[in-house]
Amino acid sequence: MLLKLIVLSSASLTLWLVPLVGLDKKVGWHKGIQGASLCAALACAVTAGNIARQLADESEIQELKTRAIKADVEDEIATEVYISQAQRQQEAEAVLNPVERLERALALSCGDEDGTANVQNEIQAEDAEERRAERVLELKAKGWGKAKIILEVWGVSKGGSQKYKDAETLYERLIKGET
Amino acid sequence: MRAMYLANYFVAGCIASSFLGWIASLHPMAFRAIAFLLVALGIVWTAAWLLDYSLSQFLKISIQQLQAVLVSVLAFLIIGLGVFLCS
Repeated sequence: MLLKLIVLSSASLTLWLVPLVGLDKKVGWHKGIQGASLCAALACAVTAGNIARQLADESEIQELKTRAIKADVEDEIATEVYISQAQRQQEAEAVLNPVERLERALALSCGDEDGTANVQNEIQAEDAEERRAERVLELKAKGWGKAKIILEVWGVSKGGSQKYKDAETLYERLIKGET
Repeated sequence: MRAMYLANYFVAGCIASSFLGWIASLHPMAFRAIAFLLVALGIVWTAAWLLDYSLSQFLKISIQQLQAVLVSVLAFLIIGLGVFLCS
C-alpha cells in the first residue's frame, strides 16, 4: 500500500510538470497530451491522497490500541507494586511491633476464657442433673410418691403451674431413662 | 502519514489549477469563463476570511483549520497557475 502511494504521488508530480515544461503549447497535439496528462496527474494525486488518508486513519487506530495496551500494562504493574508494598509493610510491622503481637495473643486468650466458662457451665448443669436423678431414684426406692418427690427435689408443689409441669416432665424423663 | 495525505491533496489542487489554466488557453470564451470562475472564487475566499468565525461554526471546524484551508487554496492556485503560465 505504501509503495502504491509513493508511485502514485511521484506519477502525479511527473505527469503534472513534465508535459507542461517539455511540450510546446502552440502545437496542437502537444496541447492535447498536456491536457490528458494533467487529467491523469489529477486522478493520481487524488487517489494517492485517499490511500494516504486511509493509512493515516489505520495508523491512528493502531496507535490508540498500543496506547491502551500500554496503559493497561502500566496499571497492572502499578497495582502489583502497590500490593507487594502493602504486604511488605504488613510483614515489617509484624516483625517490628512485638507489643501488638502480644496484645493480639492476649485478646485471643481472653476469647478462650469465654469459651471455657461456657464449657464449665455445661458441665455443672450436667452434674446437677445427675445428682437430681440419683436423688429421685433414691426417694422412689424409699416408696415416695411423685408429687412428694417433685416437691422435695424441684421445690414445686402440685398444681397446674408451668414450673410443676416442667418438673413433672423432667421426672418422667428420669424415670423412663432409668427403666 | 497525515502530512503525506495533506501534501497529496495539495498537489491535486495545484494540478487542478494548472488544468484550469490549460482549459483557459484553449479558447477565448473558455478564458473568460475561467476568469469569471477565478473572480468568483476570489470573492468567496475574501468573504470566508471576513466570516471565518460563523463559517467555522457552520462547518463545525476550528478557526485555525478554516484559515489553513483558505491559505492552502490561495497557495495551490498561485502555484498551479504559476507553473502553467511560466512553462
